[in-house]
Amino acid sequence: MNHNAPSLPLTTSVRYKRRLMPKLNRLKPIVAVLPFIVFFYLFQLTPLFWVLVNSFISEGEWSLEHYQEILDSAFILQGFKNSVWLAFWSSLFGLLIAACLVSSLRHLDGKIRDAVVAFTNMSSNFSGVPLAFAFIIILGTNGALTLLLKQYGIIDDFNLYGSHGLLALYIYFQIPLGALLLYPAFDALKKDWQEAAALLGASQRQYWLKIALPVLSPALLGTFIILFANAIGAYASVYALTAGNFNVVTVRIASLVSGDLFLEPNLAAAISVVLIGLLAFITAINQWLVSRSYHAKR
Amino acid sequence: MQNVNLMAHRITVYSIIALLALPIMATFVYSLSSHWGASILPDGFTFKWYAELFSDSRFIAAFGRSLFVCVLALVLAMLLMLPTIFVVFYYFPQYDKVMNILILLPFAVPPVVSSVGLLQFYADSPFTMLGTPWILIGTYFTIALPFIYRAVSNSFIAINVKDLVDAAHLLGASTPKAFLFVILPNLKKGIMASMFLSFSFLLGEFVFANILVGTRYETLQVYLYNMRQTSGHFTSALVMTYFAFIFLCTWLGSRFSKGNLS
Amino acid sequence: MSYVQVKQLSKSFGKQRVFDAIDFTIDQGEFITLLGPSGCGKSTLLRCLAGLNPVDQGQIWVDGENITDLSPQEREMGMVFQSYALFPNMTVAENIGFGLKMKSTPAAQARSLIQRFVELVELKGKEDRYPHQLSGGQCQRVALARALVMQPRILLLDEPLSALDAKIRKSLRQQIRDIQTELNLTTVFVTHDQEEAMLMSDRIFLMHQGEIVQQGSPESIYTQPANEFVAGFMGHYNLLDKQVVKALFDLDSPHKVAVRPESIYVKEEGRQYEAHISSPKTAHVLNHQLLGNVIRYKVQIEQQEMTVDLLNRSSERLLPAGSRLELLFNLNEMQPVSP
Repeated sequence: MNHNAPSLPLTTSVRYKRRLMPKLNRLKPIVAVLPFIVFFYLFQLTPLFWVLVNSFISEGEWSLEHYQEILDSAFILQGFKNSVWLAFWSSLFGLLIAACLVSSLRHLDGKIRDAVVAFTNMSSNFSGVPLAFAFIIILGTNGALTLLLKQYGIIDDFNLYGSHGLLALYIYFQIPLGALLLYPAFDALKKDWQEAAALLGASQRQYWLKIALPVLSPALLGTFIILFANAIGAYASVYALTAGNFNVVTVRIASLVSGDLFLEPNLAAAISVVLIGLLAFITAINQWLVSRSYHAKR
Repeated sequence: MQNVNLMAHRITVYSIIALLALPIMATFVYSLSSHWGASILPDGFTFKWYAELFSDSRFIAAFGRSLFVCVLALVLAMLLMLPTIFVVFYYFPQYDKVMNILILLPFAVPPVVSSVGLLQFYADSPFTMLGTPWILIGTYFTIALPFIYRAVSNSFIAINVKDLVDAAHLLGASTPKAFLFVILPNLKKGIMASMFLSFSFLLGEFVFANILVGTRYETLQVYLYNMRQTSGHFTSALVMTYFAFIFLCTWLGSRFSKGNLS
Repeated sequence: MSYVQVKQLSKSFGKQRVFDAIDFTIDQGEFITLLGPSGCGKSTLLRCLAGLNPVDQGQIWVDGENITDLSPQEREMGMVFQSYALFPNMTVAENIGFGLKMKSTPAAQARSLIQRFVELVELKGKEDRYPHQLSGGQCQRVALARALVMQPRILLLDEPLSALDAKIRKSLRQQIRDIQTELNLTTVFVTHDQEEAMLMSDRIFLMHQGEIVQQGSPESIYTQPANEFVAGFMGHYNLLDKQVVKALFDLDSPHKVAVRPESIYVKEEGRQYEAHISSPKTAHVLNHQLLGNVIRYKVQIEQQEMTVDLLNRSSERLLPAGSRLELLFNLNEMQPVSP
């Protein structure tokens, strides 16, 4: 172009650029995003698609057989039941304890507060296999706490490897996560509200019932859902504690793809789809509850 | 009245913290005790479990593999995410919502479910992925994603990308140069904080490591699990060493994120 | 006896003394402003009146009753916060009705009261809105109605206008004053804005470093500042050293003298001046600021710089720097101020 119009090299090139640049400019940023899309597709989306598609394939043909198999199998249904039971109660207790921690923490002074936040941050990483081992040491058959409680006759026996032991373990890892999620929500409670309520004649209890809890409710519900999802998807701690002998749904799924006996990846896929469906259902209920609160009107 | 309240709040906080600290402390004491059988307190104290642990070449190797996988996964995540977040914030801010939904996926889909798909999908891939660190690096990128996106996008919001890049353009910088020399240095603290915090939970990842790779490339968590049959004191020392490392990373991470605030 | 009596009130946070042995009285229906720079203790004093901060020593009496040890719930005081402090989960009507509900007011009575106060603050039709759907000015009117509906013994206003923009601020301060007069409400208003204080108050308590340094009507505080701090805070007073006063006006003063910029005139040729007007002083204009109706000149008389406010009459051009002026001073308005 420049050679053909030597008298106007600058303007021509500028014009040329102007015409072509918008297209190129629009493409350039997309090129920068492309690697991310590829990796996300390869490691997040494809496995999900595979699970979804293959859950409907049995012996090479489209079928609902695997879903039928789930409904017919008392064993798999028990896994679901145990998982939901553990997830529900551990989330509830975890949330309550975390809420107590966070609301009381607001009254302590800054340095202690920072230290406690830092500690919960750290202990939220104390989960999975190491946590299971720690629990065996203190609450196992010969655990220090088990012996202590036995000696004082508080308990006859404690079975860490049963549902209550697992519940204790689950609650333990739910507390720090719940606390970390609730810190910002409680920080949003303004001191002015409590003072205004007091001047209008409200007691501490009335303030909590009429103002603080309604304001916190979306955050509490949201945290509950995250804790629930966290518990129902948990695998490492229960696997390490019971070596896969306690029947929860994640153990069922894993044993169908990596166990020693019968590998049935498509059945595992179907259970996975049901599990995700369950989570989606609970999230939908949560969304509905939140939409009834004042936040939705924002 | 106020003092009574304060006392109640103190007791609440301290007892919950004590509850959370109990397993960690017990493991610590156990790792230092020579024998702790059917009694409430250990018989004697020793460092021999730590000595044994650090002389175990299998432990050193597993630790090294974990570091390798986690560091590489984080570097990969940063290399992929930084340009992406920049593009989203500078060119397509309306897509921030879409990204926020996308990054929920790794969080909402349990690792066990993802691993079902990964296991089958990569079973017949042309080059071997299963049993190698590469598949772990890929999946760890996805689980670090939500944390990194949140942390880095928060730093992006704090610096007003649009104005900074426009200012750099007017001073003659191209967009990539503006990103490298103006935006990136301002994100350093946010990046470092999210790196350390993600690192500490990647190091604790067990599900993918066990199902996708297992003993073929034994990482720290898998090694820990496989050591379950050995002495409880030994595994305690292992757990404490791991936790000390986590402690260090979280501490560094929170130091960076605090620096970011001031 | 006065409606409100504050006796020897003291408050400190830890080692830091906020105020010490403060005394004052307020009459029923009076509009009092606690005025002062930030950190002078005015907000803490207000919060002590409300019972939100406990006092260390002293007493607060309202209507012949010692309320010092009553909780905020029992004090029957209404308060409006700078941040509005509206409950975000409640509508306008629910916010206004909250206190009535706490008192278990019968529903029908509460409804009509809410209605009345919604109308009073001109928010009719917005009863079912949530705070986040309202503008700042509307929020503050809801907060005002919420306090008023309880028919408080004292209305406490903690910088209620500071978070609002200038235009809203002007209309709302008038509205507050009108409502206060209509209801004959005893009101304590906290602000750092002297213009607001002058416009709204029956009496101003000017606070500085935990003390009430001067109290009185707006005009008395403005025209007769008691000390250098008040003169500096209330306007653009010229503070002249006593040596300068002696040299220029041949007056003896024990302290510095405060001269209001608007009490200085330009000499008009051929006009007879009274005895309390000084002889003309020659001044050089250094610069000027156009404030609208007033032009503020910085001038120099001998070695002394002064601020002079002249009315912006269209017939007179702005005087450029270096212009010469003959200025007259009203000797009656020379106010000696203690340090």
